[in-house]
Amino acid sequence: MTFRQFAYRNVVRNRRIYAAFFMASIFSVMVFFMYSMLMFHPKIDDEFLREVAVSGMIVAEIILYIFTLFFLFYSMSAFLQARSKEFGLLLQLGMEKKQLNKLIFLETMLIGAISIATGIIFGYAFSKFFFMIVRELLQLESLPLYISWKPFALTMGAFFSLFVIIAMTSVVFIRDQKIIELIRGYWKNDELQSYSKAKAVAGIAMLLFAYGAAAFTSINVVKTLSIILPPLAALGTYFFFTHSVIFILHQVRKRKSMYWHRFNLIAVSEVTVKLRENANMYFIVTIVSTVAFLSVGTLTSLSSYTGQFRELNPLSLIYSSEINNPYESEHISLMRNELEEQGLSYTLVPFMIKQQTSSFSQYKVNILRESDVNSLAIALGLPIIELDSGDGMFIPYSEDSIKFLGNRNIQTVLEESNVPVSIEGVYPQMLFPAMIIGSNIIVVSDEDYQLISEPLEGRTMLTSSFKFFAFHVAEWERTKSIGLEIETQVTDAIYKEKYPDLPFYFENPGLNYSIIRATFSLLLFTGLMVAAVLLLAAGSFIYFKLYTGLERDKLQFEVLKRMGLTDQELVKIVNRQLIPQFFLPWGIAMLHSAFSFLSLQVIWSNLAEVSILSEMILVLVGFTLIQIVYYFLIRWRYIAHVRAS
Amino acid sequence: MDEVTKVYEGKVTHRAINQLSFEVSKGEFVAVMGPSGSGKTTLLNLISTIDSATSGTITIDGQNPEEMGKTELALFRRKQLGFVFQDFNLLQMLTVEENLVLPLTLDGHKINEMKKRVMDLADKLDLKQILEKRPNEISGGQAQRTAIGRALIHRPAIILADEPTGNLDSKASRDVLELLAKVNQEQKTTILMVTHDPIAASYCDRVVFIKDGAFFNEIYSDDRRQTFFQRILNLLSLLGGNVNDLSTIRLS
Repeated sequence: MTFRQFAYRNVVRNRRIYAAFFMASIFSVMVFFMYSMLMFHPKIDDEFLREVAVSGMIVAEIILYIFTLFFLFYSMSAFLQARSKEFGLLLQLGMEKKQLNKLIFLETMLIGAISIATGIIFGYAFSKFFFMIVRELLQLESLPLYISWKPFALTMGAFFSLFVIIAMTSVVFIRDQKIIELIRGYWKNDELQSYSKAKAVAGIAMLLFAYGAAAFTSINVVKTLSIILPPLAALGTYFFFTHSVIFILHQVRKRKSMYWHRFNLIAVSEVTVKLRENANMYFIVTIVSTVAFLSVGTLTSLSSYTGQFRELNPLSLIYSSEINNPYESEHISLMRNELEEQGLSYTLVPFMIKQQTSSFSQYKVNILRESDVNSLAIALGLPIIELDSGDGMFIPYSEDSIKFLGNRNIQTVLEESNVPVSIEGVYPQMLFPAMIIGSNIIVVSDEDYQLISEPLEGRTMLTSSFKFFAFHVAEWERTKSIGLEIETQVTDAIYKEKYPDLPFYFENPGLNYSIIRATFSLLLFTGLMVAAVLLLAAGSFIYFKLYTGLERDKLQFEVLKRMGLTDQELVKIVNRQLIPQFFLPWGIAMLHSAFSFLSLQVIWSNLAEVSILSEMILVLVGFTLIQIVYYFLIRWRYIAHVRAS
Repeated sequence: MDEVTKVYEGKVTHRAINQLSFEVSKGEFVAVMGPSGSGKTTLLNLISTIDSATSGTITIDGQNPEEMGKTELALFRRKQLGFVFQDFNLLQMLTVEENLVLPLTLDGHKINEMKKRVMDLADKLDLKQILEKRPNEISGGQAQRTAIGRALIHRPAIILADEPTGNLDSKASRDVLELLAKVNQEQKTTILMVTHDPIAASYCDRVVFIKDGAFFNEIYSDDRRQTFFQRILNLLSLLGGNVNDLSTIRLS
């Protein structure tokens, strides 16, 4: 047996220990590879989509890389600790330290090579499937599988460098220990029982403060809080796991009636040791899970925004134009032609919007004609209105304003033309996208509309009114290629900051929608995959730690079984040991994300009047289910192991 | 124990106990001696009910563990048996006091009752000063006394000790053995001890010798421990080699 064979057999025959480790690294390689495949895809022509896809993938890959590095580093150290007895034996048999380092290096590289190869094979196999999803999300014509050396080179380069770093550095963990200590393993009991009461209280206080602040935040302070709270919560979490938990368990241990009850004695003391021993790991798992929950939750909330997009944008194409706009007829006929070419049936309702000063508020009001509003309402399938002369009605400018304007009853005079109007109630639906006409819109009867003949004070007749063309297209999602030319002119003007000079304005919600939808769903999809890697890794951390302590646990259960512990009691003890280990970090992460979403909700409702509650609940429930499945899986393996003793 | 045989199946079939029969009466302090591989530990495991015999029957206090279910067996062990191990096997995360009280908590006793019994035992075993300490902070002798306390606290019918002095120095060994003898005399607890050490065996009422899993010989104690010890040594030398070797050892 050569030295290399020895290293090889060490890995191959320990495959069960390496299983979870393999699984997590293979998965991470696989996802990384698929992202690279998309990143280098030659068929994404669209400039914008390409930018979104590529930058999304780059960010995801960097996160994956850093995280995998961290994850492998940590698991490697756990492994080496678990195998310290074996290393001690090898050193005792006369192996040089140099040879031991070489052995570990060879083993790590072997694991690395296998995971990279398997990951890439799986990645390539699933690429087609991945592309199908992306194609659907981005609404592309086709996104075929392709062969290029680039994604392979990137993945291999990235992960080989990663495994080399790990292989070189993980050796550090067994340096400077005497052989006898390696053989005995070590039991850091004294250190494990100590805790600082001040830090324990500080940890809980910090978390409570952070939660309170997050729950009662308002839009004014949310920015400041978003800088202060995350580090505060992180520090609080750290103290919570390293001190507060131990502190609380010690309080339990003082109450003998509880502590000395049946197997609580074993369960509680065991949990104390396990939680303290792995406090750093639980801290990491909590933070990682929180980040995963948050990113997925945020992204889902973005996609719920797209769901409400249609409600907020009832019109399909919007063209508003000043009276002396020279391009008007050209643009309108262009749009008509394009719609006909696409075979889309449409209704065009032109508005002439007049502006007057209201005597009630002294502000400018935009005035619509009753018959125009009704034609639009009929086209959109909304209720029509009937106004007598002298009556008026508010048109909502945002979702909120429907409630807000509903009870208002105002007597006003349109000052310039001296037309009295009694405005009562509000139209019950959004007719125009928010703020497109301005925030002060009323509709008056055709007779009164005729009476408005004087221009706004200080303006000419030409500038005190404007035209507004509302297109209704039933298949509004298909309008994304309509009026691209006009769209470009508008965006150009906005870029060059000449927008106020432009005599017209154009908006295509269908196009906006397809862009928003594609961006968000791609981000969501990417985020979900990254979160899946993070969660898988978080679960693996716990598995490793259990595995590391397995020998000791086996011995303990053997003693207990001799003393008359029944099988049912053993399962109960295992439950009580595992549940906190699994669900404490998870629960804290849930709390963290729930409160973060409370703050996020404040930002969102300010931006787009979107409620993210239902999405949030869905995301949190989804993760909980995954966690429960993972718990049962690992409990099953663990019980099988300790029973085997 | 009647005609008990234990065969380990596997790649190499191994007959660990071969038609072994002997009886231990209530309140007796018995040592089982034999060379390495003679089946001492297997024997103890069989009596502990954590392993079952291939053939033959073991009867403990009129009960046959063979006939009990798994849970019943666990409850039986919990109530009737106490264990002392060579490497103590105290639970590291528990204090001395908690280790002592462990069997009682499993059995669901009342707190006051538990506290009282711990105090009594701590007095008897001289553990009062170290009740709050953890197993890694106390000496081997203290650890074994704690383990004996743990074996005694639920007042079992039988204490099974597996090389209880194997990891102790001579002073601590003597303490532990005197303690076991005292417990045996005062509380009439039956003790079955497996040992290598003739000094340890000399504290017993009777020593049973086994060899290759079969009964070899047994001797009863007499008034003086010294002569009993000598007789044990004699028998051991007989046990250890061929009969011819005996004379040379005698001569030396």
